[in-house]
Amino acid sequence: MTTNGPRGYRPGLVDLATGQISREIFVNDDIYAEEQERVFARSWLFVGHESQIPNPGDFFVSRMGEESVILCRDRAGAVHVFLNSCRHRGMKVCRYDDGNTTVFTCPYHGWSYGTDGALVGVPYFREAYHSALDKARWGLVEVAQMCAYKGTVWANWDAAAPPFLEYLGEFRRFLDLILDGWDGREGQAELLGGVQKWLIPCNWKFPAENFSGDSYHNISHRSVDLVGVGPSGKSRRDYGELDVARKLHVAIPDRGHQTITYVLPSGHQPQPAYQNSPEVAEYFRHCEEERRRRPGANSRLIGAPGEIFPNLALLPRQPRTLAVWHPKGAHQTEVWRFFFVDRDAPAAVKNFLRDYYIRYSGPAGMTEQDDMENWNYAHAASRGVIARRYPYTYEMGLGHAVENYEWEGLLLPGRVVDLTAAQASEEPMRNLYRRWAEFMEADSWDELMTWRRNAPREAVAAK
Amino acid sequence: MSGPINIRDLAVGARVVLGSGAEAEIVSNPNDGVWLFARYLASPRDPALVGQEDMIFAQDVVEVRP
Repeated sequence: MTTNGPRGYRPGLVDLATGQISREIFVNDDIYAEEQERVFARSWLFVGHESQIPNPGDFFVSRMGEESVILCRDRAGAVHVFLNSCRHRGMKVCRYDDGNTTVFTCPYHGWSYGTDGALVGVPYFREAYHSALDKARWGLVEVAQMCAYKGTVWANWDAAAPPFLEYLGEFRRFLDLILDGWDGREGQAELLGGVQKWLIPCNWKFPAENFSGDSYHNISHRSVDLVGVGPSGKSRRDYGELDVARKLHVAIPDRGHQTITYVLPSGHQPQPAYQNSPEVAEYFRHCEEERRRRPGANSRLIGAPGEIFPNLALLPRQPRTLAVWHPKGAHQTEVWRFFFVDRDAPAAVKNFLRDYYIRYSGPAGMTEQDDMENWNYAHAASRGVIARRYPYTYEMGLGHAVENYEWEGLLLPGRVVDLTAAQASEEPMRNLYRRWAEFMEADSWDELMTWRRNAPREAVAAK
Repeated sequence: MSGPINIRDLAVGARVVLGSGAEAEIVSNPNDGVWLFARYLASPRDPALVGQEDMIFAQDVVEVRP
């Protein structure tokens, strides 16, 4: 694939051959405005979780890029995602975070919409409009595509985008690590408590690249490790199993998704974990044993930080959380962090995890505070006219990723870097920015679906 | 002329008089302060509305029947 893009994102601003990326893509307001159209208006974006809207009329106000959207369940039980903007003069029709309603009423002139998006109430419809307004044309704007996957709800404004699972590609198994139960049962995740929301003064791509698999910054969390915020009172997490696992970077090149993952050896037995509570420790020992009994590759995988392009971060295990990096201008990000537990876990386990999750993540979480400080100052120190002249380097591990990586009979997709000895690489970041540059260059999804173009050639090659 | 009526205070079953002179009975109240769902009981200007359910705009409500 050529790296010469007509719009200047490749190789000028994102040079993957040398691993150099311009600071402009983080701090330039024009580039930010362009990525709203070219990235966020075309990508599949995480909107919320079905456990937030269990009943007819339930709604949760979410975001897609800079757009406010309403995730709601209509009176018939169907799930929708609407632009939160009145068709008459644009006022938000819902200004609550969540709730239950029969109608969304615009407070400006009083236009009113059903939970299925239909325009149902127009003040003075008979008198002022003379019953001539075609209400069917003026319902709430609905996303072009929506997908509910194991409880998570995703949406896309672009009708030409591939279906969500095709967009996800072989990264699906890594998303499953957070959505399936601790014992391996499918789709057991349930939202724990509310959504934590806060602002960070940095570009959204700083946290996105960090969660793509930046294991190089662990020194930032040294104090947290020393304090021992983990569920066994040591370090940040339970690392017993990880000592015998292969630590890998996995990047899916044609999708822009990437993660750290750990592969356990065959026949590995659960190690002590969650030692701060005997009851919780016993629960997870049982779950881990059950998970190992289930067939399938995921029983040997342990999830770690990862990123689904463009702005959804996953942390499947400790803590079990999704984060959305909502862009709010080139220089500000609104973080929304969702925490998960198995829905049928005992209350004692949920309470234990609530304490651990809050201790670790979110605006009050000790580990997340370390991260935010890095992103804040890195962004601020990259805005000046002198600073912008000097690119960042992403050359760590360049040329060391392999395809068809296999360990003890487990084959992994995409491009893989074995970090067990190397400790770190920047393959995931290069993967993120490769895909970002492709979105910024491409005029349509036809250009972005490289796997569909390659499929016939790959089939011929296989014969 | 009486002051504005806070329609959020109105319960299902309450009867209201509208600016057109029509009378309607509330069948549900979304409590948004803007709309009521109501069934027409009388409508001198347009008798065809009687029996129909409609959304009633707050500013149309001029009186609440005791």
